Amino acid sequence: MTMKLDRRQFLLGTTALAAAAGISPAFAQQALRLIFWGSQARADRTYGVTDLYAKDGGPAIEGEFLAWNDYWPKLATQTAGGNAPDVIQMDYRYIVEYAKRNAIAPLDEFVGGALNLSDFDQDQLDGGKVDGKLYGISLGANSVALMINTVDFEKAGVEVLGPNTTYADLTTIGEAFKSKGVGKAVIADGSVSEPMYENWLRQRGKALYTADGKVAFDEADATEWYKLWADLRAAGVCVSPDDQALDTGPLETTMITLNKASVIPSNSNQLVAFQAINKDKITISNFPRIATDAPGGHYRKPSMFFSIAGTSKSKEEAAKFLSFFVNDQAASKVLGVERGIPCSKAVRDALAPTLDEQSQIALNFVANLGPLLGALPPSPPAAAGEIDASLFRTLGQEVGFGAKTPEQAGPELVKGATDILNRAA
Amino acid sequence: MTAPAMEAPVPHAGGAVSQSWWSRVWQNHAPGYLFLLPWFIGFLGLTIGPILTSFYLSLTNFDLLTAPRWVGADNYIRMFTADPKFIASMQVTLTFVIFSVPLKLAFALGVALLLNRGMRGLPLYRALFYLPSLLGASVAIAILWRQLFAGDGLVNDFLSVFGIQGPSWISNPRYSLWTLIVLSIWQFGSPMIIFLAGLRQIPQDMYEAASLDGASRWRQFWKITLPLLTPVVFFNAIIQTIEAFKSFTPAFIISAGTGNPINSTLFYTLYLYQEAFGFFRMGYASALAWFLLLLVACFTAFSFLTSKYWVHYDD
Amino acid sequence: MTVTAPAPRLTVVTDASPGKLLRKRILSVAAHVALIGASILMLYPLLWMLSASFRPENEIFSGTLIPSSWSLDSYFRGWNGLRISFGTFFWNSLVISITCVIGNLIACSMAAFAFARLRFKGRNFWFAMMLMTLMLPGQVTLIPQYVLFRELGWVNTILPLVAPKFLAVDAFFVFLMVQFFRGIPRELDEAAMMDGCSPWRIYWRIMLPLSLPVMATAAIFSFIWTWDDFFGPLIYLSDINTYTVQLGLRSFVDSTGSSDWSSLFAMSSLSLIPVFLIFLFFQRLLIDGIATAGLKR
Repeated sequence: MTMKLDRRQFLLGTTALAAAAGISPAFAQQALRLIFWGSQARADRTYGVTDLYAKDGGPAIEGEFLAWNDYWPKLATQTAGGNAPDVIQMDYRYIVEYAKRNAIAPLDEFVGGALNLSDFDQDQLDGGKVDGKLYGISLGANSVALMINTVDFEKAGVEVLGPNTTYADLTTIGEAFKSKGVGKAVIADGSVSEPMYENWLRQRGKALYTADGKVAFDEADATEWYKLWADLRAAGVCVSPDDQALDTGPLETTMITLNKASVIPSNSNQLVAFQAINKDKITISNFPRIATDAPGGHYRKPSMFFSIAGTSKSKEEAAKFLSFFVNDQAASKVLGVERGIPCSKAVRDALAPTLDEQSQIALNFVANLGPLLGALPPSPPAAAGEIDASLFRTLGQEVGFGAKTPEQAGPELVKGATDILNRAA
Repeated sequence: MTAPAMEAPVPHAGGAVSQSWWSRVWQNHAPGYLFLLPWFIGFLGLTIGPILTSFYLSLTNFDLLTAPRWVGADNYIRMFTADPKFIASMQVTLTFVIFSVPLKLAFALGVALLLNRGMRGLPLYRALFYLPSLLGASVAIAILWRQLFAGDGLVNDFLSVFGIQGPSWISNPRYSLWTLIVLSIWQFGSPMIIFLAGLRQIPQDMYEAASLDGASRWRQFWKITLPLLTPVVFFNAIIQTIEAFKSFTPAFIISAGTGNPINSTLFYTLYLYQEAFGFFRMGYASALAWFLLLLVACFTAFSFLTSKYWVHYDD
Repeated sequence: MTVTAPAPRLTVVTDASPGKLLRKRILSVAAHVALIGASILMLYPLLWMLSASFRPENEIFSGTLIPSSWSLDSYFRGWNGLRISFGTFFWNSLVISITCVIGNLIACSMAAFAFARLRFKGRNFWFAMMLMTLMLPGQVTLIPQYVLFRELGWVNTILPLVAPKFLAVDAFFVFLMVQFFRGIPRELDEAAMMDGCSPWRIYWRIMLPLSLPVMATAAIFSFIWTWDDFFGPLIYLSDINTYTVQLGLRSFVDSTGSSDWSSLFAMSSLSLIPVFLIFLFFQRLLIDGIATAGLKR
């Protein structure tokens, strides 16, 4: 959490003084509270925008930021205690839970008024809807992507993955890696990556969940998925299960940073972050295809949202801040593409020329996905996060370590997911 | 726990003893309650409310964001009949308790005895052995432990000197729990300090007298040190066991809250935490907590009841 | 338990034979070697962290213990890395920790005295209740406590972290002190009572002075655990100016973006210093404790 002590304290100080003196300048509005997750780098950008907003005549914003792991318990505690901040950064994994319980407020009433979304991408707007109502404003679009270590591929004499690379090609690349002695696996173990599974399903014309919140794949799909990775594992194309289990979430523990593999599944807006911690040059590509004539399976998804707390007393003010955040061009220059590609066309066009090389790559990647892009899937059911965290990953690990066969794991995935969905209903 | 009475001062013989029953009760019991007053206020004001509320919550479905919904004993029934993760986490936790507590206490006592011999550099050694405990909840632990116990970590480098090809301890479901047991034992500084304080309270002149009597060091240990140390041993055993059952932070940090690989590090309280804050099932988590409380309370009661056979108090 | 001096012997048994002396020497050296070896083993992870803090950023995970180049860069960067200097965090942690120590020492020793030495109705029952508070995992009392503190208006202050200590909420210390008090012979109390001492005087003049080892222990633990606590401050502190060191440290690492490991290691190493100093300081009391215990006869 950053604070430019002088400016913010000055602002709050004058506000307090003015309020005490009974005068009410434009500043003496109720300060808004904001909470978001991220690192210091994101905080710097965010507070840069709140400063701009205050300069523009808006109310002061009291911000608070935490690491991802700490963010959710704190937010849940504050919400349970009736003390949630006004503006809340939201993630697609949780937005349905919070929306269904009215912990965040529907924003439809502000659209067109305090909240200007006139040139917002439609699919990004839809991404923030639950049951047809708008609950979150997308702060940036991203897409799933592979992070690729270019140096390893040069060493192997193979071209980096591209729009036409298939899963079958991975094995060929693996052989090249071996013969040129690259010393790593080609790719991380994707069987524990839910985004990769979803992408693979979509290429087959299936999906993770149906619009009415049921499992949209069957046992045959799941079994084939596990078998695909079991074969890659046996051929040494993907990392061993011991190595994959080292990946506990932070970027520093990913296979590419630990030098266990050259390719990992990730999100397009994390390219800059990955490059910062890896010495070798990293580039970005789409997920492997199952066949060159299959759909690409990608879609542009909101990377994160801003929502407004259900208990907020300043919803209109908060909506104005949200509008500023996503529409103001000076703000967008401060934010860059750290949270994703801006969803407003005007903002994108103004921003693009000012970005550095890595950010340009990330920006263009999403724009150039072209035929690989498909429609946004329906918003996932409330227990989707649980299915990912407690069932999907565990099953993938069990198959990896040989505790279960793909034939066992497939049906279990379907049954387990259905049970969890039923329990949450 | 028996307790000989402490009688309130009675006027000396010669003066008329004319205390009413009430004032005698007051004199007998008042000091206790007065000394206990801060604790009472804390207990009744700050602690008992949340504890009872958590019990109430265990009988509800509470998703944190809306009001709790009564479901009676459903949570408990589900726990015992339909929850494989409950069983898994219980296994993990019991294994952890059974191995880490005795080993930790053994190290703590052993090192404390060593350090108590009044050797040179005692304060420094004591401080050095205590340092690991200072890192307890640090996120740095996750990195440090991975540096040590990953497939290409330092432990395996060390083992390879002897020609042993070690697995990736920290990311293999068969061994990952052991890295956490080692972590717990590594932080034996706390019980060690307590043992040291207990050893310090044994008067030196007893040892002097005993060696003048010709007792060997070993006899001295058995006949003087150990018996007089039993209240402290008892304390450490109870506390370390309770803490081990409740152990959360190491597993949370090292597995990044996942309990993986394959739930091999899914400590009971980590599972509880996932249910509460990860999956919005605070009611179920409260039921899990109360079951743990019951388990630990039974263990503790049993320990207290059997303690009179081996714990030697000076009063 | 009194010890009577033995009758004087006619022959004096000495240990002065050369064989015995040599064995003693060897044992002593062996003990030292074992201790040093064990210390290195114990400290290796810490040494690693210390050395990582002196490394340049991209070398942190390179695995060797001795860095190829030493730089204090991460210390400077980390100190101001969160826009608020770590000095503020250190100060906040210090204030909270010291206050908690004071609260714990006062309140817990009073409660322990009551449980260990005074008889009153329901004593065993309340003792059991106190122990029970140790056994319930904190995660489930978190929300009800948060609501309680919110009603009191204490959220966003350090009061939820500090005030409970003055009300003997830490059952660990009460239990610890009870065990130690029970190791102090009752004859002292009885003698004092014959002289007409009130329970308060017994507590103040006899019990406490003889309990320096356990008081020092409690002070050390109380300080260190409060210093290391992050969950309490996480939930109850929102204003970064009130953040503690642990909260500051956690802000360096975020799994969704880039983390600043070298700053984390640098500041973690620094944050070990105050607790280490406290430990060294109170250790003396642990040593002095034996002198008083010997004198009491």
